Amino acid sequence: MSHTTPMVEDGPTGADRLKPFVPYLLVLPGLLFVMGILGYAVVGGIILSLNETDMFMNKTFVGLKNYIDVFADPRFQDAMVRTLNFVVISIVLGIFMSMSFALVLYKVVRGRRFFRGLSLVPYFVSGIATAVMFRFIFTTSGGFVNTVLAQLGLPAQSWLGDPTLAFVVAIMANCWFMVPFASLILLGGLQTIDKDLYDAAAIDGANPIQIFFRITLPLIKPMLGVSLIWVSYISFSTFDIVLALTSGGPLKATELVSIYMYELAFQQLNFGQGAVLMVVLLVFNTVLSLIYIKIFVMGDRRHSEAGK
Amino acid sequence: MAEGYVEYRNLRKSFGGLEILHGVDLTIPEGAFAVLVGPSGCGKSTLLRMTAGLENVTSGEINIAGRMVNNVHAKNRGIAMVFQSYALYPHMSVEDNMSFGLKMRKTPLQLITDRIKRAASILKLGPMLDRLPSQLSGGQRQRVAMGRALTREPEVFLFDEPLSNLDAKLRVEMRAEIKALHQRLKTTTIYVTHDQIEAMTMADLVVVMHDGRIEQVGEPLAIYDRPANLFVAEFLGSPAMNLIPGIIAQDADGRVVQTESGLRLPLEPEANGTVGQKVVYGIRPEHLQLDPAGDLPIRLTLVEPAGWETHVHADLGGHIVRMVSTKRVAQRAGDSTTATIDATRAHLFDAATGNRL
Ligand SMILES: Nc1ncnc2c1ncn2[C@@H]1O[C@H](COP(=O)(O)OP(=O)(O)OP(=O)(O)O)[C@@H](O)[C@H]1O
Ligand SMILES: [Mg+2]
Repeated sequence: MSHTTPMVEDGPTGADRLKPFVPYLLVLPGLLFVMGILGYAVVGGIILSLNETDMFMNKTFVGLKNYIDVFADPRFQDAMVRTLNFVVISIVLGIFMSMSFALVLYKVVRGRRFFRGLSLVPYFVSGIATAVMFRFIFTTSGGFVNTVLAQLGLPAQSWLGDPTLAFVVAIMANCWFMVPFASLILLGGLQTIDKDLYDAAAIDGANPIQIFFRITLPLIKPMLGVSLIWVSYISFSTFDIVLALTSGGPLKATELVSIYMYELAFQQLNFGQGAVLMVVLLVFNTVLSLIYIKIFVMGDRRHSEAGK
Repeated sequence: MAEGYVEYRNLRKSFGGLEILHGVDLTIPEGAFAVLVGPSGCGKSTLLRMTAGLENVTSGEINIAGRMVNNVHAKNRGIAMVFQSYALYPHMSVEDNMSFGLKMRKTPLQLITDRIKRAASILKLGPMLDRLPSQLSGGQRQRVAMGRALTREPEVFLFDEPLSNLDAKLRVEMRAEIKALHQRLKTTTIYVTHDQIEAMTMADLVVVMHDGRIEQVGEPLAIYDRPANLFVAEFLGSPAMNLIPGIIAQDADGRVVQTESGLRLPLEPEANGTVGQKVVYGIRPEHLQLDPAGDLPIRLTLVEPAGWETHVHADLGGHIVRMVSTKRVAQRAGDSTTATIDATRAHLFDAATGNRL
């Protein structure tokens, strides 16, 4: 048995010493590219937010003036509260729907692949087309929902004309967009669970609800974290669907921060204040993601590390 | 009359129209260590999972401790199961794994602590109670899986190939440990394996299965000495029994089995079977011995010294036969010599049905 190779006798060679870095070297170009673009946008946005910029892109440094103005702007305050409502409801509803779909798809054996393919459709359809589709469904006269209501003998609703209902429709459109992918992430998590665990838990006397909360949920925590990041990010940043659906109306009932940002930057040409809103969304997204990662992904370190 | 503790009556199982178990009838006495053994796909796990309540019964009956359990939920059958994959909850400590079932049953905390302490001391799990399954070796995980079953204090233990993920040495150790545990607790146990050595060494009662049917039930040595048919004869024993087809013929000294190549294999006078009957002659490797004074001419094809015994492959009238000798063998592959058969140890099977004569 030759258990000593010459390389070991000579000590680690240069190539050996580099080995741990090889994976990082391989992802480096892609990482630099992504970071570059992201960094450019973020840094550019922050610079914009600290300057007054005119139509000809001439900048004057104004410090935090844009921030002070924006935070004092009641229209921003309303949009912020509305966005937080929108995001919280979307997250709760979106995760609930995604988990339900994932559990159903997990049980369905026949046709699972078909549904998996189908669930990517929202990402091939542009946001504008999605909005147009929702308009068809919810249009007051002749819309799909009102037609169904009429068949059931119920009164028609002005779905996109009533502030509360329009807000609800906007959340539904948002869920339509984000739920399928979140379901796929969760389904992937469910499929990694050893089926014997469910048998063991059944013998142990756990009922389906206990099994879900004590076995399934803890075991897909990392995937739950990832889908939370996705759902939160989409909800904070949703823009084209809501803009094309309601233009922020009626009575600003659906004017989210992202929509107000568009108005500030591209209609009022107030780039500085528009950029402040971008920074605000960025901060919210980043802080939330870090919290999710800390709770759901890193919390698992103990056994993922030991699993090596 | 010994009441059967676990009983199957004409038990059948189909998966989507395909019948997997074709009417199993079996009685396992209280306190027995029954081993279901058979080749892959013969339905052992299915039978065990039906016993556990993890698969529905298609038709027939399962009784545990005198109670028909066909429609009783797994958790109420008084069973505990050890899975091949161990099925430990990866996110729970060893202790939580063991107490999960008791907590689900709202067992008083003091009792849970006591039972875990007891199981941990029996299985020497004390130092690992706080660890996660991923921080344990295969053998330790195996022990935890058994500990989890133990804390349930079940009426029946079910094991599905619990040792197949362990290396050979550990498997022998755990085999002895499980057997010792059974001798201590005397809990009725049903143990599934496809390893016939595990079946022979561990069982009070061996159940040989093949293609969804039970081929033979009995004590290990009884089955070994008197296999009911060709399948069992070939399946149990390692190296496997030599099986040589032939016809019963009358010789000057009595009946013999004459092979196609004209070889005459000895039979004892009490052997069943009539002259002219087509049979398969079976002789275990340890009952076919090299013997310079023997009357069967053989040519050695392979000699495998294993230390305390030697395995010899040889050509006997055109059949490759296996022999096991506890003596050292001086001859080498290629040598021609002679062998003898212990006629009292010969097995005869009907060539048409495969059943023992
Ligand atoms: N859920 C199922 N659906 C369809 N067929 C199944 C299912 N479970 C088992 N079978 C089939 O039933 C037969 C018996 O399977 P089983 O798992 O009981 O075999 P086994 O004796 O345990 O084999 P092994 O030694 O490989 O574990 C196999 O042919 C298998 O394909
Ligand atoms: Mg099996």
